[in-house]
Amino acid sequence: MTMVSSSMPPEPGPIIRAVTAAALAVWRSWPFLAFFIGFFLAWEYAVILFKVPGYILPTPSEIVRRGWADIPRLIDYTLVTGMESVLGYLLAIAVGVPVGVAIAFWEPLRRTVYPFFVSLEMVPKIAFAPLFIAWLGFGLLPKVIIVVLVCFFPVALNSIHAFGSLSDELTRFCRSTGAGRLRTFWKVRLPAALPQCFVGFKYAALNATVGATIAEFMGSDQGLGFYINIATGNMRPDLAFAGIFFLTLLGLALFGCITLAEKLLIPWHITQRRH
Amino acid sequence: MGATIEIRSLAKTFGVGTGAVHAFGPVDLTIHSGSFVSLLGPSGCGKSTLMLMIAGLLEASEGEVFFDEEKVAAPRTDIGIMFQDNTLVPWRTVEGNVALQLELRGLDPRAYAARIRDLLRSVRLEGFGGRHPYELSGGMQQRAAFCQALVHEPDTLLFDEPLGKLDAMTRESIRTDLQTLWMKQRPTVVFVTHSIEEAVQLSSTVCVVTPRPGRIGRTIDIDLPWPRDLEVKASPAFTHYVREIQGIFHDYGVL
Repeated sequence: MTMVSSSMPPEPGPIIRAVTAAALAVWRSWPFLAFFIGFFLAWEYAVILFKVPGYILPTPSEIVRRGWADIPRLIDYTLVTGMESVLGYLLAIAVGVPVGVAIAFWEPLRRTVYPFFVSLEMVPKIAFAPLFIAWLGFGLLPKVIIVVLVCFFPVALNSIHAFGSLSDELTRFCRSTGAGRLRTFWKVRLPAALPQCFVGFKYAALNATVGATIAEFMGSDQGLGFYINIATGNMRPDLAFAGIFFLTLLGLALFGCITLAEKLLIPWHITQRRH
Repeated sequence: MGATIEIRSLAKTFGVGTGAVHAFGPVDLTIHSGSFVSLLGPSGCGKSTLMLMIAGLLEASEGEVFFDEEKVAAPRTDIGIMFQDNTLVPWRTVEGNVALQLELRGLDPRAYAARIRDLLRSVRLEGFGGRHPYELSGGMQQRAAFCQALVHEPDTLLFDEPLGKLDAMTRESIRTDLQTLWMKQRPTVVFVTHSIEEAVQLSSTVCVVTPRPGRIGRTIDIDLPWPRDLEVKASPAFTHYVREIQGIFHDYGVL
């Protein structure tokens, strides 16, 4: 046995393992990286080749240069739009989940509020944005409310579905233990509902920055939506693209956070398992 | 020893008016303390419905069920119950799932640590306590569910086709586990199945359920030696019981 083990290669250290894993990840995603870089190169050289004027479509390198020059303001506005998105998003979850639970468990609400919600889901909520701006002015509040509006329904509807669909077997099992409603909720219903809730949370995360941006288009004196609006008005598509880039980063960050939360809270779920 | 279960004029109808489906009954049956009674019948005959009514998990349309002369009016909490689809939750390990039965009852699982370990060992799951259900085969999952159904030491066990989705070899091996447990502790067992061979092998009494609306067509005491191992299953007497029951189903037009 000693002979065999001494001839085995030594176990690699954690740093070597991490570097190997990273290199492997890069190697596996090279088709994506190649396409990504190729896309921007094609953009750059197509603009130069076809002599597209900068006030119509700037080159990526131009966008980076001009955007870099205005970086303090872009960061500032990213924080503003981020604040609106995150506040509205968290508020939508804080209200949407309890509302979903109430509707899932209480028959009268399921007969009244639920069909009302389903029909409201067909209404493009963003159409309410000008009204809220008119009622509440240019500040933070109307934006947060609009974000809540576009995030609330996916959260609430998925929560209703999540909490209303425990299997017959598990429901019967819980009843056969004599456990009360509250204990059954904490031990079984809540964890069982989390995966479906996260479907709603992720969908809402995509809506959040869209809601905040459109609200800023309609009436605002700061934020990335405001920035893009003004830049376009001033024939500065380079700055508009820089704003869009920061909006993308914001959206990715929000979605990344919720994906991380999902990984931590429901590591057992089929969508989270490795191999 | 388990409870004696008395079933009196029990019937179940689903729905009302012209759309009503008479699913089951009326049935009169006495399940003696410590016996192993199979409810054997074709699918859709209402045998699972009967089991749920015995457990107090489904309200009867007519008639009553008594556990040791106490009328069933709410879900019985002194039973162990197992279904075709197991009640393991995916976010808990095997041990955690067994402990869930205790936690839902407000018991401290730490006080049962030794019992959980013994149970898992008795069904050859030692070393798998820390695994999640999705890491286990179907047979191992059902063995874990078996421990979950037994951990609170119920003296009455209700099984609704717990082996229904398993392969033949796994079924055979879990039947042996089940038989060993029953012979040792003599709980009252109500076992729903559609396998004639399984019913004859495990039961002290087989209740043959008719097609819908289900009634107890015949009650057959199985007079074979225990344990019912492969040798007993190969005996002429075993084959005789199986043939007899096949004949009954043939007369019902099921086989």
